[in-house]
Amino acid sequence: MSASQSAVRSRAEAVKVSRTFDWMILFTLFFVVLGGYHIHYMLTGGDWDFWTDWKDRRLWVTVAPIVSITFPAAVQACLWYRYRLPYGAVVCILGLLLGEWVNRYLNFWGWTYFPVNFVFPSQLIPGAIALDVIMMLGGSMTLTAVAGGMAWGLLFYPGNWPVMAPLHVPVEYNGMMMTLADLQGYHYVRTGTPEYIRMVEKGTLRTFGKDVAPVSAFFSGFVSIIIYFLWHFFGRWFASTAFVDGENV
Amino acid sequence: MKLLKDKVAKLSFVALLAASSAAMLYTPTAAAHGEKSQAAFMRMRTIHWFDLNWSKEEVKVNDTMTVTGKFLVFAGWPETVDKPDIAFLNVGIPGPVFIRAGSWIGGQLVPRSVSLELGEVYEFKVLLKARRPGDWHVHSMMNVKGGGPIIGPGKWTTITGSMKDFVNPVTTLTGETINLETYNLENTYFWHTLWYAIGLAWLAYWVRKPMFIPRSIAVESGKANTLITNTDRQVGIGFIVGTIALVAMSMVSTNEKYPVTTPLQAGLLRGMKPYEMPARTVTVKVEDATYRVPGRAMQMTLKVTNNGDSAVRLGEFNTASVRFLDPAVLEDTTGYPDDLLAEEGLTVSDNSPLKPGQTRTIQVTASDAAWEVYRLADLIYDPDSRFAGLLFFFDENGKRQMITVDAPLIPVFI
Repeated sequence: MSASQSAVRSRAEAVKVSRTFDWMILFTLFFVVLGGYHIHYMLTGGDWDFWTDWKDRRLWVTVAPIVSITFPAAVQACLWYRYRLPYGAVVCILGLLLGEWVNRYLNFWGWTYFPVNFVFPSQLIPGAIALDVIMMLGGSMTLTAVAGGMAWGLLFYPGNWPVMAPLHVPVEYNGMMMTLADLQGYHYVRTGTPEYIRMVEKGTLRTFGKDVAPVSAFFSGFVSIIIYFLWHFFGRWFASTAFVDGENV
Repeated sequence: MKLLKDKVAKLSFVALLAASSAAMLYTPTAAAHGEKSQAAFMRMRTIHWFDLNWSKEEVKVNDTMTVTGKFLVFAGWPETVDKPDIAFLNVGIPGPVFIRAGSWIGGQLVPRSVSLELGEVYEFKVLLKARRPGDWHVHSMMNVKGGGPIIGPGKWTTITGSMKDFVNPVTTLTGETINLETYNLENTYFWHTLWYAIGLAWLAYWVRKPMFIPRSIAVESGKANTLITNTDRQVGIGFIVGTIALVAMSMVSTNEKYPVTTPLQAGLLRGMKPYEMPARTVTVKVEDATYRVPGRAMQMTLKVTNNGDSAVRLGEFNTASVRFLDPAVLEDTTGYPDDLLAEEGLTVSDNSPLKPGQTRTIQVTASDAAWEVYRLADLIYDPDSRFAGLLFFFDENGKRQMITVDAPLIPVFI
């Protein structure tokens, strides 16, 4: 067989090869994104995602969406502009969550015995679906950044609330009031994570009284828009093909 | 040449196999906390732990034990370490093998960070509930913001029983009693599984069609707009509307189910009540101090004046949680960890009772292998070569008074 001949001999064979490629690429993409995104999120979101006593209504709501919109924006750019496939954000989050659950279950629980109800990851699927569908319907990076980025920030807190609310039930403990999440942080000893490291309920956003979570979510959405643009361009650049002139090699 | 290559390949394979086996078969438990690696001056000149007591050496799962004692926040706190304006009373254990059921400083519960004053002594108590069976080294510990963890003495404690039996009952302010060990677990699994399934459904909708090669060809040939069909758009709208509806409904139903929730609690506790030590009637001036490297002994020349009304004798020198005792004056009956106790480690040139009004210059030698074992001798390599510690004098009635010493230390190498 010469180099100019096709590797496949029929349309059926071409379809089969194409599907094999699909699964190989998707499998590779899923696990590469899982690894890279997981490391990125652990380094930037870290403790906010590890522990329930960090998941507050101000900083967790603000920080987690901002640092997590990165990979979805980049992968979405690649899959949309090269293939018109609108599942970049969802595939990222599915990978991230799988990696996080494996880590939390095997390491945090299986190795160091922190209870899973103290170390489960944040939920990001609702925002990812919004991001992908907006990209598909609008076909526009600007619209996806503005509407999708805002939705990403706004859906984060309510998407997590069904799991977090039971841990915000108050308890009286030896004469002090705390939430069950605070109590988890106090009971389950973390030698290297003293209480003062917690970045919760800090800041000057006091004008809105107890209704601070929606304001934090809006702020998070605004910054997510900017981060979306930035990482979307990273994705576009990463997915570009550059041909080098043979004479210049 | 081929023979040589084969041999190298064979040996490499054997080495790889041996390395893998060694890594997999020999996995010792890391049970201690690196206390010996902490700079000697940190342990000698920051928090001085004393009167430590571990209430039990063996405890069953679900039973409790306490670690009690006192600590002095040393007045000569080193400049290279941030002062304990924000600190947290912790315990050094390998993960949550115990749960911290309570911790107090001066009788005040301290689930949050505290502010400590230099020069003050504080009494503390930590209540621990056994959770995971094994032999564990249990340390007192103070985390200082900007200073790191300052670990106190540790003692081996055995937990017996089975972790499966561990329960952590808590009664909430809404009147419900829950087991915090497993509370909310099913709810967490349910929501994460549901959302993951929804995400997978979105992915499955797209991966059932041809993906990369045909779509790439279509995009490259300018037919990108044909790749998203009306059905795709309708499915997409269904997903986004369903997602928003599910988020909204789950939020509403959660608020109905948990009408009383509060934000996470945080803040700094100030005004910790110091412990009143007995009035000091003895004054001590350090004339000089040397550390004899070959002999693993520290020698101090002290000028001691007794301004009280009872004769006193020096019984103990405590530095970095290592206790050097003069057995003629003091014997430990508290079960203090052996490796931190030099029962005959303190030698005083003249330790006859120092009468009221008398001044005497004495040579005090603290010698024990602990200087090396606990790497206190490394003090001579620290940036500020000073030592510090606690001297305990005892009067004729057995009453104790504590004097702090802090002076330059000169190493003697020959």
